[in-house]
Amino acid sequence: MRKTTLLSTALICLAMLSSCGDKPEVPAGDPNTKSSGSVFAMDTYMTVTAYGDDREAGVSAATEEMTRLEKLWSVTDEQSEIYAVNHAGGGSTAVSGETAELLEFALDMHEATGGALDISLYPVLRAWGFTTGEYRVPDEEEIASLLEKTGAEKISLGDNTVTLPEDMEIDLGAVAKGCAGDKAVAALKEQGVECAILDLGGNIQTLGETKPDGTKWKIGIRDPYGEGSAATLETGEGAVITSGGYERYFEQDGKVYKHILDPKTGRPAESGLASATAIGDEGRYCDALSTSLYVLGAEGAEELWRKRGDFDMVLICEDGSFVITEGIEQSFQLTVPAELKVLRK
Amino acid sequence: MTGRKIFILITAGLLAVSAVWCVYLAMRPAGEEIVISQDGKELYRIDLSRTPYRTIEVEYKGRKNVIEIKDGEVRMTHADCPDHICIETGKLRPDTPIVCLPNRLVIEYAGGGLDGTAR
Amino acid sequence: MKVNKLTKLGLLTCLALIIFIVELRLPDVVPVPGVKLGLANIITVYCIYTFTPAETAMMLFSRILLGALFSGNLMALWYSIAGGALCFAGMVLLRRAADEKNMWFLSVIGAVLHNIGQITVAMIVLKSKAVLGYLPVLLISGCIAGLFTGICAQLVTGRLNSRRKNKSAEK
Repeated sequence: MRKTTLLSTALICLAMLSSCGDKPEVPAGDPNTKSSGSVFAMDTYMTVTAYGDDREAGVSAATEEMTRLEKLWSVTDEQSEIYAVNHAGGGSTAVSGETAELLEFALDMHEATGGALDISLYPVLRAWGFTTGEYRVPDEEEIASLLEKTGAEKISLGDNTVTLPEDMEIDLGAVAKGCAGDKAVAALKEQGVECAILDLGGNIQTLGETKPDGTKWKIGIRDPYGEGSAATLETGEGAVITSGGYERYFEQDGKVYKHILDPKTGRPAESGLASATAIGDEGRYCDALSTSLYVLGAEGAEELWRKRGDFDMVLICEDGSFVITEGIEQSFQLTVPAELKVLRK
Repeated sequence: MTGRKIFILITAGLLAVSAVWCVYLAMRPAGEEIVISQDGKELYRIDLSRTPYRTIEVEYKGRKNVIEIKDGEVRMTHADCPDHICIETGKLRPDTPIVCLPNRLVIEYAGGGLDGTAR
Repeated sequence: MKVNKLTKLGLLTCLALIIFIVELRLPDVVPVPGVKLGLANIITVYCIYTFTPAETAMMLFSRILLGALFSGNLMALWYSIAGGALCFAGMVLLRRAADEKNMWFLSVIGAVLHNIGQITVAMIVLKSKAVLGYLPVLLISGCIAGLFTGICAQLVTGRLNSRRKNKSAEK
């Protein structure tokens, strides 16, 4: 009798111990409001958050789309179309309509930005080690000889074919993420999703003018010098895309080398900007713009904005001051004390 | 049998005090949560204010990452990957997740006031 | 020391070590560091009631040292030593108050003290008072785990002693 009591107490103890402590950490999130899904693609972490009844189908369609595009546009994947173009040895390569369209867009942007955006910089980027992480500073001679192998104007586009001079290599890094975002948004729409936000490795793209609760999307802009965000922006549907030297850089002999190269010099762009953010309707446009604006610097960026006028921007200068355009004046808010200049047409 | 009764009483008392203490701690407002996920799948959701110290090991294809949570700060302390970018990232910041690309691991704050941060 | 006793203590150390290592391999039930059954405590409690404090201490600390060595987790050694020492001291002091029928109580106090010792070391090593937040959970788990291992020890001791009595009766 006594033994049974002891044994049963012991068993109860076991049962209690296995159920005690904190609540189990199972995936949380409120299924009634939104669903998220993430994929690793294009060397970065991409998250899709969708609202509404069709959200789950939408999220999986969007993530599948991004995985598919990664296979199409990866520089390193031997099955990708870009890989085929880069290894055609001077011959022409047939590509899909999507790739041809994006290439055409990239070449247009090359022209529109006066060469600040160049998708043929890959060999130079590799020489600096930004593609592998084995950083080094190439000497002037090496850069000069590599620069001869660049120049987006040497790329010729035919009817869904691309011809690249031998030794040249292209890399859609500056536009692929934005374009993938556009296509992911389209995939979401196709599934009936009306409201979603995508975070593609720091590129923010939204679907729907407001969140389901009727408020605007609140997007932070990363503080290049401190923690958190330096400013917030309330936006409707569109893209908010930032390029900054803080994303990838290395230090050698006390000098910092950042990963965004100036196509003219083949060296890290030193335009006096810490980061450049482009705000507009289209992901690929903003993606291309953010890189170009960063390379161009405050003056060049202002010039480009005046010329085109179909986007807004936030420039954070290396002296800590901000330059924004009038279109976002009302929705822009600084979260750090800083000097703010608003550009007007 | 008085000895036995005293013992039972002491044990019950101990349990009761700890239980009340537990409840008191659990009643505190929830602090910031971080989410650790791998390959897009959420592995852990941890309330920083209730996790004074903890190390978490996550494996990916035989490679290991160790995440340390201490005094509300989160950092990667060990990673079996070639670049160690995740370790160099330092402590987790609200806007930038700690990412270990080779091991497909992401540590980030859940929610916050912003819908997203362009970076 | 008599060979008989030495053999027995050695055997018990081995047993405790095996239990300790096997338990390490079991997956964590509760995701809080320090919450575990502590099955090796069964042997410690048994020893407290069967051997002198000095002999028990030898068994316990050999087990802790070898356990840390075998598991390859030397950082955990300090936690184990602090927990083990506090647990041992408490049990020795209480040994007189609780007879063999109340082994469970000794075990509960031991487990709770063990956890308190661990938290104390954690606070020193991590230089963080926040770790104290784990104490209530550890106290509860200590009570339950201690009760469990104590009852196990009680059952084991009962069996071993009855066999010993039978044997001496046969002689």
